[in-house]
Amino acid sequence: MTGYQAIHPNVTIKLVNNPWEDYWTKLPLALDGENGPAIFNVHNSYHENLINYLAPLEIPLEELQADFTGVDAHVIDGKVYYIDYGMMTGSVYYNKDMWETAGLTDADIPKTWDEMREVAKKLTIKEGDKLIQAGLNFNDDFHQNYLLGLNYQLGENLFQEDGRTPNVNTDAMKQIMQMLVDLYHTDGVGSENFGEKGSDSFGQGQSAMVIQWGHYYNTLNTTWTDINFGVFEIPTFDGNPYAYNRYNGESSFGVNKNAPAEQQAVAQDFVKYFLANDDAQIAFNLAMSTFPAKKSLADNEKVMENPSLSILSEHIDRYIWPGPMPSTMETSLKKAGQDIFFNGVDIDTALNEAQETIIRDMKSSTFQSVESLYKYAK
Amino acid sequence: MRRKVCKIALNLILLALGLITVYPFIWMLSSSFKQNREIMALEQHLLPQVFTVDNYINMNARFNFLRFFANSLLVTIVVTLAVIYTSTLCGFVLSKYKFKGREILFSFVLGTMMIPWCVTIIPKYSMIQSFGWLDSYKALIIPAMFSGFGIFNMKQHIATLPDEILEAARIDGANEFFIFHRIIFPMAKNGISSIAIFQFLWTWEDYLWPYLVINAREKQLLAVGLKMFSGQYSTDYGALFAATAISIIPVLLIYLVFQKQFIAGVASAAVKG
Repeated sequence: MTGYQAIHPNVTIKLVNNPWEDYWTKLPLALDGENGPAIFNVHNSYHENLINYLAPLEIPLEELQADFTGVDAHVIDGKVYYIDYGMMTGSVYYNKDMWETAGLTDADIPKTWDEMREVAKKLTIKEGDKLIQAGLNFNDDFHQNYLLGLNYQLGENLFQEDGRTPNVNTDAMKQIMQMLVDLYHTDGVGSENFGEKGSDSFGQGQSAMVIQWGHYYNTLNTTWTDINFGVFEIPTFDGNPYAYNRYNGESSFGVNKNAPAEQQAVAQDFVKYFLANDDAQIAFNLAMSTFPAKKSLADNEKVMENPSLSILSEHIDRYIWPGPMPSTMETSLKKAGQDIFFNGVDIDTALNEAQETIIRDMKSSTFQSVESLYKYAK
Repeated sequence: MRRKVCKIALNLILLALGLITVYPFIWMLSSSFKQNREIMALEQHLLPQVFTVDNYINMNARFNFLRFFANSLLVTIVVTLAVIYTSTLCGFVLSKYKFKGREILFSFVLGTMMIPWCVTIIPKYSMIQSFGWLDSYKALIIPAMFSGFGIFNMKQHIATLPDEILEAARIDGANEFFIFHRIIFPMAKNGISSIAIFQFLWTWEDYLWPYLVINAREKQLLAVGLKMFSGQYSTDYGALFAATAISIIPVLLIYLVFQKQFIAGVASAAVKG
């Protein structure tokens, strides 16, 4: 912002910070009138609430496509209203001290889920039947970090060919869910009763490995500063996946189509400046621990210094964004997992119920999957 | 002897309940002197293992704490004074004047207390927007000047005051303006104290409405500022607890000053008028 105002001293940009959750309540109300912000933060999970207030970006589509990854998924009737400046996904965070104590070295970093299970067993510590240290902990986030992503490794999309019907009671999803159950109940590397959240348990030094999204890198560096951690790319089932995982984008700014014309013109110019400015792109991506969507920054030195990003660089084009999924995808699969782990429901029944719930919840949604736009789509 | 044992037992139960009630506050206060990693640690201690005042020093990093505090104080005091005056005035009229439609009017006032606030917030926002009051304290003060609860409370309270005093004043030549300001107001201080405390507390902690209608950072209120510590992916609990600990000081002071009148006022409102 300072850089832009230095180039354009006649422009004053007033920054208003907002609490994250309630910002999404206030923003549509503010945009509905004449005095809403000319430019504002966008998150794709609120796409349906915001799209009617957005002006299309005045940047030629082919230029955006040439410079940024994942632009096609944001094209609506030939226009783009916002794009991703960064891509966030899940990776494995491990406690280096526990790793060393278990006699593991860098050579033991697992590439496949079979290897991951063996490593997790070595990292697990028990006193009799009592779990003292979990080798792997996925409590509270298995739906987000496993069920909504590993399906791609097995060649299954989250939505069927029509782009609207969920695909969550498939053999692939059952295999993933079975693996989760086996990890806890057969391998004994963790327990549904060992800490409410896997992410907290890792930070508290109780669990040796967790799969978390990029933001966790910053959380570890600010909240859990005592943890000596490393990070590696998510394992695959066979080393040659259809895609490694799901990603989600952090969005560029939105321009308010109801703002006065001269404010809109500045807002459009500011978005161009933001996307063209490499320093801003690097700063935003490092702040969010997202992999830059700007292709020219994929091997940037500063970006590669962040281990949570450097591990993604080799296969970054092998990650899929399904589109701004309705929240029922997460909540229904979370309930399915909880039913399996805590209520003794069998996997088939739980996933069938999730499938039905999602279909019912999505009746009023306009969501359309963009999985078909994946570079290596079948 | 048996009575004494019962009394001791009752006091012990009340003490236990009091401790349970106050414990979260003590924990929050103590945690405001802890580092985030200690607040989130698996093994919890009431007292900080590593004492730090950094949370208090760094509070201003996210917003201008003192400015927000002063804004909240200003709005809360103005709203509370306005509600005290309008509630006492309406309570006086509804309890001491007999006129056609009085009961319907009072029912209407009671009805406003029964409508959930979340139902009215969007139409209220649209009205404020069309009046051009957005980003102005008018949006916070004017709609809050009349309180259904305050009117109900003051009507009940003023109804307990003897009519004979008012009649005597009228015979002595006092007009209604004088009676209201010089007789009713001083005699209704218990009721006024109770609604003052309630209204001060509600306005002080009100979050969503100020957040929706105030945009400028320099005009924002403290309750909104406290939410700034919660980010997209994490919360700075240490700074949040430090800011919260300071933010409750005015409410505690108000209660300590008015507590006797508050209890008397609440009790009198429960009497049928």
